[in-house]
Amino acid sequence: MSFKRLAIAFSVAVFLIYAGLILSLFYFYQGPLFVNTLLSERTLYSLRLSLTTATVAAVVSIFFAVPAAYALSRYKFFGGQIIDTLLELPMIVSPVALGAMILIFFNTPAGQLIQNRGVDFVFTVYGIVLAQFITTVGIAIRLIKAAMDEIPERYEDVAKTLGASPVKAFFTVVLPLCKRGIFASFVLTWAKALGEFGATITIAGSMAMKTETLPIAIFMRISSADIQGTAVLVLILIGIGLGILYGVRLFAGKKSYV
Amino acid sequence: MPQIELKNVSHYVLRDINLTVKDKEILVLVGPNGAGKTTVLNVIAGLVDYMGQVCFDGKTMDRIPAHKRGVGYLFQDLALFPHLTASQNIAYGLKVQGYPADVINNRTKELMNALHISRLKERYPKNLSGGEKQRVAIARAIAPFQKILLLDEPTASLDAQTAKFLRSELRVLLKQFEITAIFVIHDLLGAEEVADRIAILHKGRIEQVASPKDILFQPKTNTVYEFIGMPNILECDKCHVLSSGLVEVASGDMKIVLPYEGDIISKIAISPHDIYLSGKKPPGPALNRYAGIVTEIIPLRSIVRVKVCIGQNTLMAELSKEAFDDMNLGVGNEVFVIVKLRRLRYFVT
Repeated sequence: MSFKRLAIAFSVAVFLIYAGLILSLFYFYQGPLFVNTLLSERTLYSLRLSLTTATVAAVVSIFFAVPAAYALSRYKFFGGQIIDTLLELPMIVSPVALGAMILIFFNTPAGQLIQNRGVDFVFTVYGIVLAQFITTVGIAIRLIKAAMDEIPERYEDVAKTLGASPVKAFFTVVLPLCKRGIFASFVLTWAKALGEFGATITIAGSMAMKTETLPIAIFMRISSADIQGTAVLVLILIGIGLGILYGVRLFAGKKSYV
Repeated sequence: MPQIELKNVSHYVLRDINLTVKDKEILVLVGPNGAGKTTVLNVIAGLVDYMGQVCFDGKTMDRIPAHKRGVGYLFQDLALFPHLTASQNIAYGLKVQGYPADVINNRTKELMNALHISRLKERYPKNLSGGEKQRVAIARAIAPFQKILLLDEPTASLDAQTAKFLRSELRVLLKQFEITAIFVIHDLLGAEEVADRIAILHKGRIEQVASPKDILFQPKTNTVYEFIGMPNILECDKCHVLSSGLVEVASGDMKIVLPYEGDIISKIAISPHDIYLSGKKPPGPALNRYAGIVTEIIPLRSIVRVKVCIGQNTLMAELSKEAFDDMNLGVGNEVFVIVKLRRLRYFVT
C-alpha cells in the first residue's frame, strides 16, 4: 500500500468512527418522537438558553481576545510568556475541574464580594455564560493570535509612515486583514461554548427551565435512561454545530489576498 | 522646506552618524550588506529607538512618533496593503490624515497619472506585476504631501533594464515634487544615476559623503576605494576632439577615445572589471586597445587581479579565476588590454 493510500485510509477510518456514531443515533430515531421532543417547551428552552449563552460568551470572549491576542502577537512585555502558557489552561484542565475552580473562587472573600455586591453567578444563567467564557477565551486568543502572527508588522510600519496612529493602523490594516481569522475564531468559540458541559453543570447546576442547556439536557435524559430523547437532542446539537462549522469553511475559503 | 540632519546618531549597528541632507537633495546611501543603511532610514522615520539627534529643518524629531514625522518610506518589500486596491493604497495616507474627499481624489489621480498607473486603479496588489507594484508603492509613499521620502533599495527586485528606467523616472519625479530623498541602493552604478550626493556607509560609520564624481575620483579612504571597485584613475594630458562625437584623450603613452560631450576631461576612471585581457593581438581597429607587460598577479578567492604596465601607466584588470587559468599568464608576459568604451567615466575640470 502506497503512503498516500495509507494516509487516506487513516482519514477515512476517523470519518467512519464519527459517521458510525452519528448513524447509530438513527437506530433509535422515531419520527413523531423527534418532532415532539424538539417542540417540547423544555427542549426549546434549553435550545434558546444554549444559543443565547453561547452567543454572549463568544462575543465577550472575542471582545477580550482581540486586544489580548494583538498584545501577545506584537509586544514583548513582562509576564507575556506566562500569559501565553496560561491560555492553555482550559485545554489541560478538565472542564469539571475548571468549573470547580470557579465555584471555589466564589467561596473566597473576593468571590463572595462579587456575588453579594455584583452579579450572582452560582446556579444562575450568568454562571453559564461565565463558565463558557472561561473555557473558551484562551482558545479564542490562541486562534486570533495565530491569525495576527501571519500579518507582517511591516504593514503597520507603512501605515505609520503614512500618518496613521498605532490605533488607526490597527483598525485600518490589522483588523481588516485578520477579520476572517477573527470570524473563524468566533464561530469555533461559539461552537465550543454551545457544547460546554462540565464547567457549566458545576457552577450553574442542572435546573430544568432555568440552567438546563442542551448538553445538560442530554445528560439528564441519558441519566434517566431516555435513549430516544437523548438521540433527538444529540442530533439537534450535531445539526447546529456541524452546520455552522461547514458554513465557516465555505466563508473562510472564499477570498484570498495573496 | 525640509533639510535632514543626523547628529551623533548611534544604534546598535550605527556608530556616531553625522549627516546632513540638503533641502530637495537626493542622497544615496551605499555600502555592503550589514553596513546599517536600512537602519539609518528607520532612524529617520522614527521606527526604531536610537541615541543622538534627528532634526528636520533644525527642529528635533526625537520625541515625535513615526506617524507624526511626515516622512514617506518606500520599503524594500513594498508592503502594499493586500486588502486594498491600487488607488485605495495610494489614498490610504490621505484618508487616515483626514483630508477631504476631493483632495484625496485629485491627489490620487495626479499621482496615478504621473506614474502612468491610472489603468491599474481597481486592481489588487496580487494582480500587479513587480514594476507596477513599485509604482503604486511610490505613489502611496508620497501621496500625503510628504516632503521627505526614504527609499530602501526600491529597484532591487527588478530586472536591470526596468530598474534603470525606474531610477531615472524616480529622479525626475522627486525633482518635480521637490522632495528631499534618501535612497538606499546596493550598487554604485545605480547610485550614480540618481544621486546628487552619495554617502558610503561601512560597518555603521559614514566613510565619505560627496558627489558621485568625487567619490569615484577622490575616494577619501581605502574602504571607499575598495567599495567602488578600485578603479584605475588616469590623469589626462591632452584632449583632441575627433569627428563623429568622440574625443581622444592622451594619458602618458595611452590614447583613449570616448564620447565627446563638450567637456575638457582631466581624469578618466576605468573599473578593473571593465578591462579585457588577451594573450593574442585582437583583430580590428586599435581603438582603446593597448599592448602591455604583466607586472603583478594578485590571486583572490574567485577572481584574479592583474597589473599591466602600458608605458608610464599601470592598469589593474580583474578576471575570473577560470578566465585567468585559460590565459596561462605570468609576470613579464606581453598582454593586450581592451577597454570598454561605454563604461568609461571621466572627471571634468
